[in-house]
Amino acid sequence: MNDVAPIVFVVDDDPSVRRAIERLVESVGLQVELFASPQEFLQAWRRDVPGCLVLDIRLPGKSGLDFQRELAEANIPIPIIFITAHGDIPMTVRAMKSGAVEFLTKPFRDQDLLDAIQLALERDSARRKQDSEMATLRELYKSLTPREREILPLVISGLLNKQIAANLGTSEATVKVHRSQLMRKMGANSLADLVRMAEKLGIRAAKPNVP
Amino acid sequence: MLISAYAAMSGSYDYSEVARSVLIAILASYAALDLAGRVTAARGWVRSAWLTGGAAAMGLGIWAMHFKGMLAFQLPIPVSYHWPTVLLSLLVAILASAFALYVVSRQKLGLVRALVGSGIMASGISGMHYIGIAAMRLAATFRFHPLLVTLSVAFAIAFSFAALMLAFDLREETKQTASRKIASAIVMGAAVSAMHYTGMASVSFMPSAILPNLTHAASISSLGNNGIAIVTVIVLAAAVLTSSLDRQAEAELRHLNEELEHRVVERTTELVVVNDELKKLKDELRLVIDTIPALVWSKLPDGSADFFNQRFREYTGLPLEEGLGGGWMSVIHPEDRSKFEDEWHAALVAGETFDVEARLRRADGQYRQFLLRGVPLRDELGKIIKWYGTSTDIEERKRTEEALQEAHARLAHITRVMAMGELAAAIAHEVNQPLAAIVTNANFCLRQLANATPNLEKLREAIAEIANDGTRASAVISRIRALLQRGAPERVELDINQLIQEVNVLLRDELTRNRVSLRADLAADLPRVSGDPIQLQQVLINLVMNGIDAMRTLTDRKRELLIKSAKNHSEIFIQVQDSGEGLDPQQAERIFEPFFTTKPEGIGMGLSISRSIVESHGGRLWAESGSRGARFQFTLPTK
Repeated sequence: MNDVAPIVFVVDDDPSVRRAIERLVESVGLQVELFASPQEFLQAWRRDVPGCLVLDIRLPGKSGLDFQRELAEANIPIPIIFITAHGDIPMTVRAMKSGAVEFLTKPFRDQDLLDAIQLALERDSARRKQDSEMATLRELYKSLTPREREILPLVISGLLNKQIAANLGTSEATVKVHRSQLMRKMGANSLADLVRMAEKLGIRAAKPNVP
Repeated sequence: MLISAYAAMSGSYDYSEVARSVLIAILASYAALDLAGRVTAARGWVRSAWLTGGAAAMGLGIWAMHFKGMLAFQLPIPVSYHWPTVLLSLLVAILASAFALYVVSRQKLGLVRALVGSGIMASGISGMHYIGIAAMRLAATFRFHPLLVTLSVAFAIAFSFAALMLAFDLREETKQTASRKIASAIVMGAAVSAMHYTGMASVSFMPSAILPNLTHAASISSLGNNGIAIVTVIVLAAAVLTSSLDRQAEAELRHLNEELEHRVVERTTELVVVNDELKKLKDELRLVIDTIPALVWSKLPDGSADFFNQRFREYTGLPLEEGLGGGWMSVIHPEDRSKFEDEWHAALVAGETFDVEARLRRADGQYRQFLLRGVPLRDELGKIIKWYGTSTDIEERKRTEEALQEAHARLAHITRVMAMGELAAAIAHEVNQPLAAIVTNANFCLRQLANATPNLEKLREAIAEIANDGTRASAVISRIRALLQRGAPERVELDINQLIQEVNVLLRDELTRNRVSLRADLAADLPRVSGDPIQLQQVLINLVMNGIDAMRTLTDRKRELLIKSAKNHSEIFIQVQDSGEGLDPQQAERIFEPFFTTKPEGIGMGLSISRSIVESHGGRLWAESGSRGARFQFTLPTK
């Protein structure tokens, strides 16, 4: 995954601006792909390719902000750097709130764009890393038996084996076996580790009946 | 008074004969007076005819009286007459009459002439009398009583004088003279008779045994005697009748003449009145032409002037003789002259009315704007015989017009600047776009140059694009500057499609921002039109901006703007259609009124200005509510 080189996607209806950005970005050793419209970009985009999007606010037929929303709705989490020849504050605020990496006004400083691209790629990479961790975690969770999944919220809520056994109406020894299986399957080194994993998976600690 | 010698034969008078002789004398006198008038009135051969005929009639009358008088004297012995002598006496009577008529018909009758005339006439009459006595053939000798002879001659002279004077006096024929003529005739007749009977009394007849020589002698029977009287009366009556007819004819002629004369006088008076009226009319017309507030002129078919009114002369200060012919051309402003000459010659050739503006020089050297108009006057064959025209001072009007145009241009400019203000963001975008490319490319170049091994090919590319984008930015700026400038409206040949494209470039960002998609349906090969590109762009921008505004609140359908150009006969037709709510039909015309607006922030000038711009190009601008949205259309003539 890490071997795949990130791509900087550029969507601007002005060919001149597109080519200038291409030159600049390529000069720092990044791959660039140019598009005149959002549609062209959507056709070329692949989920498994890391990268970021340099997007002109003014696009033929629709605005860049609208496209940003569409991407979010389509679950395309590519980091976006907005560039615009005329920006106003409300526009900037809206873009940033919607998760834009940067909002640059044309003509922009080259370093600003490159920095923004850098940041966006890092963000993408981080997200991708996070995404892959989550995927792993979900795989691990899937490997648990129903009994183990039942025990997990009770374990992370800090109950003792005896208490868990009481809650489930089983023996303490059985709970102990399940618990060690659970820890092993999830690859958790400690209870704290398991708690963090459960949190990532969105599993909440149970509120057991404590006798 | 009759004195007879004691030894003489006693004769007696047949008094009825005497009376007849006196009657003849009066008749002859009347004829003489009457004829005198005729002779006087006549001229040439008519006069000679009257003189001859009159003398014959008068002479015959006098002679007949005389002869009658002799016949009235009856001697106891037979008397016969030597007829050649009788004829001689008649001749003498005629000659004397001719002479008398001649004298009285002269222009003047002085005393000397009258006396001499009466002497000659008297000797004629006396001669006739005594020649007549000498014609008597009877057995007796004559003895003359000298006193009575002298008296008779004196009577003759007096009678002649009186006769001449009376005839001269009465010869001018008027109505009043008729009664006087009769009276005079009676007096004269009496005088003649007196002279005759005095003459008769001066002769005494002594009986003699010697038989008279009766060769060529004839005795006068009472039939002959009466015959003489009747013939004489007929002749005299004929003479008087002729004279009277002639006089009547003359009087008629005179009457006709008088009537004619009267008519001539009447007509002359009428003519004088008509002439006066004509003169008055002419003066009035001249006054009107001279005071009418325009320069009035007439020109011959070749264009040379033959009349100028007083105002023309006063305005130009040009004496009439200098302005006539082609001289008037000198008052036209040199810059206007060739244009004027072209139009003028075109009008002369085409024979149509002409209408041209030119500056004319006033007497003080100042030029003022005039409207020169002329119409041809044609004869019945359609040939132009004259040109009439006026030149009206339109300086003030022209100035007002110019001021209005100026104000209009100013207003157009203001609305343009306002529109540009609204478009400021869009315009900034158009400039920033190439600037962004330039800055980015320049930075790329700097980075490359900082490298140990710069990519020269990429550098060249980047620099070329920098140059292109620089030009592009500059073009946008100059387009905007042109739109913001306030220059005099100009007319150039332009391509309306290109103009539409340029406007689209300017408004692209505005369209995008408002999520309006623009579709241009432009006809290929449109003819060029003559116009002011800035003003026409203003119209297009205004229509497109209105379209954008109309669709601003539209959420249920696509915001679409269609710009269409097409050729329609001799016009180019441009249409801007939006997909908004359309126009309220009641507002379709009102929206062109100044200060009428349907927009909250509008000032209501855009369409009013746009319409006046289109109209100043000779086109029309109107609005329609289409099946979908409003449709604004305008035309431009293609010449």
